Amino acid sequence: MALLEFTNVSKHFGGLQVIKDFSFEVQPGEIVSIIGPNGAGKTTVFNLITGIYAPDEGDIRLESKSIVGFEPHQICKLGIARTFQLLRLFLNMSVVENVMSAVYSRSHSNLAQIIFQTSGFKQEEDHIRRTAEAQLRFFGDALTSVFEQPVYSLPYADRRKVEIARAMATGPKILLLDEPAAGMNPNETLEITQLIGELRSRGGYTILLIEHDMQVVGGISDRVIALDYGEKIAEGRYQEVATNERVIEAYLGRKHNTT
Amino acid sequence: MSATATRPDESSANTLLKRFTAIPLKWRFVGFITLLAIAPFFTNNNYILRILGNVCMFSTLAVALNVVVGYAGLLDLGFVAFFGLGAYLYGLLSSPQLSALINACLGDRASAEFLFIVPGWFSLIVVALVSVGFGLSLGSPSLRLSGDYLAIVTLGFGLIFVQLSNTLDRVEFPGCQQPLNLTGGANGLLNIEPLRFFGFELQTVTHYFYALLIWMGIVLIAVHRLNQSRLGRAWRSMGEDALAAEIMGMPTRRLKLLAFATGSAISGVTGGIFAAWQGSAFPQNFSVDVLINMYAMMVLGGIGNLAGSVLGASVLSIIPELLRSPELIRMIFYVGLGAGLMLVKPRRNGLAVLIGVIVFGLIVKWIVGAAAPDLLSGPTLKVAAESISTAFERFSQQFGIFVQGWILLLKDSTLIGNLAFVVLVPALIALSRLKASRLKLIVTVPVLYLLAFVWESRLTAEPAVTRLLLVGSLLVVMMIFRPHGLLGQRKVEIA
Repeated sequence: MALLEFTNVSKHFGGLQVIKDFSFEVQPGEIVSIIGPNGAGKTTVFNLITGIYAPDEGDIRLESKSIVGFEPHQICKLGIARTFQLLRLFLNMSVVENVMSAVYSRSHSNLAQIIFQTSGFKQEEDHIRRTAEAQLRFFGDALTSVFEQPVYSLPYADRRKVEIARAMATGPKILLLDEPAAGMNPNETLEITQLIGELRSRGGYTILLIEHDMQVVGGISDRVIALDYGEKIAEGRYQEVATNERVIEAYLGRKHNTT
Repeated sequence: MSATATRPDESSANTLLKRFTAIPLKWRFVGFITLLAIAPFFTNNNYILRILGNVCMFSTLAVALNVVVGYAGLLDLGFVAFFGLGAYLYGLLSSPQLSALINACLGDRASAEFLFIVPGWFSLIVVALVSVGFGLSLGSPSLRLSGDYLAIVTLGFGLIFVQLSNTLDRVEFPGCQQPLNLTGGANGLLNIEPLRFFGFELQTVTHYFYALLIWMGIVLIAVHRLNQSRLGRAWRSMGEDALAAEIMGMPTRRLKLLAFATGSAISGVTGGIFAAWQGSAFPQNFSVDVLINMYAMMVLGGIGNLAGSVLGASVLSIIPELLRSPELIRMIFYVGLGAGLMLVKPRRNGLAVLIGVIVFGLIVKWIVGAAAPDLLSGPTLKVAAESISTAFERFSQQFGIFVQGWILLLKDSTLIGNLAFVVLVPALIALSRLKASRLKLIVTVPVLYLLAFVWESRLTAEPAVTRLLLVGSLLVVMMIFRPHGLLGQRKVEIA
């Protein structure tokens, strides 16, 4: 059974058809990458899955249950978490609080319990903190010294990790990573590539990845889906897709006949 | 990342602040409350106790505003309406107004006249519940709005409230024989019952001061605990980035409504206590200037910081009262001016300007005295030994005489004072645009003299205006040097 199914989805904004009859599936434990040139509709796919937009046609299912029409926070609770291409961290909150905030949907203390500081609330608060710290420790000891620092004081690469940790803290079944290597230097790109691999091997997450950087995609993906003008133009193993004529055309333009 | 975010501040004020913030919050809180709680043992001056009561009341309101604006990031300009709603509702229930309403409605159909007053504690509970209801109902249409748009809509609500409280004194109601007087209109609601708890009636200013102090303590603890919980984190996340918060599993609609409801419940109950304290409620108690005052308190203290809200509310409740005394206001003005000059580097330039202003004044006075002696008035201050009681008063008197020694005092200063004021403003702006040079030093002397002249001839004659001008300029200067407020954290918007 597929974990995530995206079936014949179409979406248009005004007269612009952004996604055209697009279908794919993600099996549990897979790393699937969506590639495509700028404006191909990759991020729109994520926005459709997380409920920011509703599809015009088609269906999106998580574990065979449709999630169309749910609000984003409900979809998150069902087990889909994402990161953003341009980080959307809570910059003025501390690193650990950023991650703790994402445990919201898995915690239950109400107003009265909080104000009267019941033992249930204190236990839960402890649990939230331990959960958050565990997610941050996934990335080694690099982040442990900055737990209480505001996120804005962190370098870019560390912020990426905090954002992934925040997504992990929601307890997802599938992680959607939107260009995790954007804006990183080659070393950092290599590190994040290994990290995504570890997210599956150590963390046990299923991952849907949007990526521009072919190095990242090639290194770790089980399957690659190429998207152009909202349409699927190729799907398969990285080698197959990367050599596909339509994909090369979409990225580099049509070959001119030089006679 | 913005370059200013990590710039170390090295001024002494900042080290003082760091020492202060190093004290655990709990002890700062306990210390502040105890300090206030023992105040009535040192003074039985009702005026001072009233100011302290205001400190507690506005602190509570600023803290409630902080939940809505500081944490949840909802720019709510209708906030003061909930304070007013609480006061009016309490006033309506716990005064003869309600039975008068029923009597007016039933008219001669009633077998007997109603005459009852709802006990205050019960009214407060009703106030809290109704405030929550109104908070939710005003919050729900605002859910789709954010930022400036939310501000405009809520401002509308706030204005509607003032308008309604002014006009709901003759409401035609179906089935009622006479028009109903709900709010008392511009005359306000009068004869509001004092609060009574378990047979103890709150009568004196001291009683209300303690009631407000306890209420403030409860609110501070509750809001602090909320802030350190999943709800507070979710509110702050939402304030930073509502979309990211929603996608990370936080139900932003519900959280927004909860923030509105919390803020309005706190301010509603505060309004109820205020009405009981004052014994009346008037539309102008809840007008836009009160709202701006609340915002100024929150912003001055630092948005999103509870201790800051309390500090801001204390400063802005106490300073305008200090500025009521003309002697003190004069001292503050000249000391501030002198201190400002001493900050000029190199220091001898500041000193030169200070001496220059005084010499300039003596020359001007001598010229005017020689050319048109009948324009001059004698010094208005004389050493009056019998009216002086404290060392401070003696000093401020001497200081006033010293100042009047070199400042031109005219018999009829209104016209020329106003003209001088008109000249002064562009002169100050022009001065601030000049680059540091000898010319600037020379120009500073007459401009400062003009400032002092305007001060003595016009501003001291209008103490109410001057008070606001001083508070306003204090805020401006404050926000230039600490844009994130007294205790606030420097915020980074885009990094």
